[in-house]
Formats: sequence, C-alpha cells, structure tokens
Amino acid sequence: MACSPRTPPSYRSRGDRDASPPPPARWSLGRKRRADGRQRAEDAEGPAKPADCRRPDSFTTPEAPKPRPRCADWASAVEEDEMRTRMNKEIARYKRKLLVNDCGRERKSLLGSCGSKAPCAAPADLETDESVLMRRQKQINYGKNTMAYDRYIREVPRHLRQPGIHPKTPNKFKKYSRRSWDQQIKLWKVALHFWDPPTEEGCDVQEIHPVDLGEMETESAESSSESQASSQDHSFDMYEGTPTKVRHLDCHVEDEFDLEACLTEPLKDFAAMS
Amino acid sequence: MGEPGREEYRIQSFDAETQQLLKTALKDPGAVDLEKVANVIVDHSLQDRVFSKEAGRMCYAVIQAESKQAGQSVFRRGLLNRLQQEYQAREQLRARSPRGWVCYVTFICNIFDYLRVNNMPMMALVNPVYDCLFRLAQPDSLSEEEEVGGPGPEGGVDCLVLQLHRVGEQLEKMNRQRMDELFVLIRDGFLLLTDLSSLAQLLLLEIIEFRAAGWKMTPAAHKYYYSEVSD
Repeated sequence: MACSPRTPPSYRSRGDRDASPPPPARWSLGRKRRADGRQRAEDAEGPAKPADCRRPDSFTTPEAPKPRPRCADWASAVEEDEMRTRMNKEIARYKRKLLVNDCGRERKSLLGSCGSKAPCAAPADLETDESVLMRRQKQINYGKNTMAYDRYIREVPRHLRQPGIHPKTPNKFKKYSRRSWDQQIKLWKVALHFWDPPTEEGCDVQEIHPVDLGEMETESAESSSESQASSQDHSFDMYEGTPTKVRHLDCHVEDEFDLEACLTEPLKDFAAMS
Repeated sequence: MGEPGREEYRIQSFDAETQQLLKTALKDPGAVDLEKVANVIVDHSLQDRVFSKEAGRMCYAVIQAESKQAGQSVFRRGLLNRLQQEYQAREQLRARSPRGWVCYVTFICNIFDYLRVNNMPMMALVNPVYDCLFRLAQPDSLSEEEEVGGPGPEGGVDCLVLQLHRVGEQLEKMNRQRMDELFVLIRDGFLLLTDLSSLAQLLLLEIIEFRAAGWKMTPAAHKYYYSEVSD
C-alpha cells in the first residue's frame, strides 16, 4: 500500500478490524512511531516509559462533549474531572443565586454582590471558561488552605463581616482581566495574613495543614530560594508558603497590622508565585 | 460507623502488621504513608483473587477517609499511578503470571465499579478497562485452556464474563461503540473457535444473551444456564 499515509497500524479505522488479526492493544503497543516520528521497535519499551511515548489522545470517550486536554496520567485526569464537575455545580449554584438576587432586587433595591444599580449580571456576563475557572479555583484553594483562613472564618462569621476591613474571597465567576484577578488574589492573601497564628521559635510542623505537595512544590521551591529562611524554615516551605511569610511579618503581628510593610517586604515571594 | 470489620474489607488474608496498617489508614489516614498503603493493596490484589474482587470497596473507604480528614487525595493518586504502571506493563504481567493478570483485570474493574468522582465513574479508566477486556476476548486468550487452570473459576474466560456482568452496563454507557466491538470479538470467538471448551462456550453464550437482554437476567436464561434441573 504505497500510497497510504504513514499512520501506525492502530490508527486504522475500527471497521478494518474484523478481517485482519486483532491489532495490538491500542494505547501502548500498536504505535509504530513515536510522537516525534521516530520508529519504535515492535512491542518494545513503550509500556515501561510513559514519558517517551505520550499518547496523542486523552482518556475520555469519543462521546465527550468537547476535546479534553491531554492528560497522560490517570491520577491527574481524575483530579481534573473532579474539579470540573465540582466547578459545574458551583456555576449552577451561582447562577441560581444571581437569579434569586435579581428577584429580590425588584422588590427592594439591594445592591447585592454585583454592587451596581444595573440589573445583575446575566449569565452571559459570567466567566465560564473552564481553564480560567480551574486556575482561579486553584489560586483560591491555596489561600483557603492556610491556618490564617481557618482562624479568620472561625473568628469572623460571614454575616458580621465588614466590607473593606474583612477580606472577601474574589468571585471567580465574574469577568476580570488576568492582571486584575491576580492582583485581587494577592491583596486578599495579604489581608488574610492578619489572622496568621502567632509563632514562636521552633513552631511545630503539626499545626500546618499539609497541602497538595505536587502543586506547592514548584511555588515554594521558588519562594524558599528567595527568602532568607533558615534551615528550619525550609521544612516549612515544603508544606506551605505562609509560615515563611509569617516569619517576615513576625515583628508586625505584635503591633498593628502594617499593610505597607506586607506589600513591600514579601513582594519578591509573590513574584515567584502563580 | 464503627471500626470496619475484617470481614467487610477482606483483610484477613494480610499479615498482622499490614492489617494494622490498613485499619489505621481507614481510621486516621494522616497517620500513615498512604502511598505505601496503595502499593500494599495493589500488590496484594495481584496475588489474591478473592481480595481483588472486593478491594475497590476498601479503596473507596480510604479515599473518603482521607478526603474528609485532610481534603487530600494522596492515596487515590498513588493507587491510580500504580494501577497505570501495571496497565502499561500488562503484556509482561500476562506472560509472567496469568493468574496475576486475571487478578489485575478483576481489580481494575472493581476499582472502576466502586471509585466514583462526584457520582460519575472515572473517565480515565474507561478505555484501559476496555483494553483489558479486549485482551481477554482475544482468540488466544479464549482458547487457552491452561490459563490458570482453564475457564473455571480462575480462568480468563470466567474473568471476562464476570467483569462484564459487574461493570458491562456502565461501560457501555460510557462508550457504546467499544462495547459493540468487544461483543463482536466474543461472538466471533464463540462461533469460530474450534478449540473452545464447552464451559467456555457456555459462558460466552450466556454473556451474549445477557447483554442482548439489556444486561439483565431473563427467567428463560436463568432456567437454561443456572437451573440444576436436568432435562
């Protein structure tokens, strides 16, 4: 078949299969060439080296609503799916909330979370791009996964929050530019530091919430190289960025909360993040 | 719920130290090395067919416990990574240990059955499970008498039909086309292979009819396949 394109055997259409001997298992053994075009030895080391022969497809079914990003590793694919389904529920819940607020507004002019006198954002004005929402959610999770946030929500119930004083989680469903969003997150996390647990020398590790090391390692690796942390601090950096910053702010915690100092001093750490 | 009994998770086949490890993982996941627990469970399921049939439940319990305690998924990640590694080396596993291979397929189907993500099955496992079942439905596999003692309770054909009984309907919902193709293989095997044992033929016919009936047992089928009354 001189004229046929150079596709590996496994990429024949499924209809071909009935006559010929069953082709090798689709995902790992059937590929004649690697992703970069080089030929592979038949049934070779492919299975043992997932990094080399990245499968071009995702693991989702042909019936999936839209193409999914490549995810060669099951664990990550499952985690993404989980985030995605959770996200969809949140979007639905948020849209319902907007509708409820809308009805409320017609009867009494509340400003609600939209903060404007115009009718509340129709669903068309919401951020719905999955990748954006997932990224924003991750950033929010980093902030919420801190001792500071825990203490904050325990100390200040939501109905007692005063806007301008008590930090509020940025709303991931609203349309913002990337810079605007990132800045909101920064300011929010800085503001949360007010509730950092008081530290002493040799603060014990058990108090710190372990975070997903897979995510945090890239961040804390960068921030730990920049901060003048002692060797003791390095063990904290492995878990969380916050304790490092707690150390920087130590001198401020006793006095008033000094926003200026927070914004200037640890800024180099922020630069390394997201 | 009180401490899960050994019965419930079939951990009696583990040694005492490992049993303790597993019990702690269920009660206090943060206190153990969850990646190690995942490896222990996978290793054991590759050897113990009885355990591999129900290991999914225990895995689910550990995942829930970890999620509730720390909001993490270290165990699940370790489990899936290991599962994926074994999947990628499955031909070698099959060559090295037919019994281990059968256990693996049983295990991965069990995981697919039990481990759900927000009430949806794990999409990432759909194609790998199909791949495993396809392998079991290959002519060389169907005819193989000696695969762990033939199509009896330990064999490949038995594994294939058992897994299809358990997860076939779900799998079909996730990807109907591949299920159609799988059954083409099964049907062709049934009709064309001359060296199938009569038990293998019976098992294949039963699953063909089971699917045709919408993954349900019909009274007629039950009578034909499972009734002890001889004509």
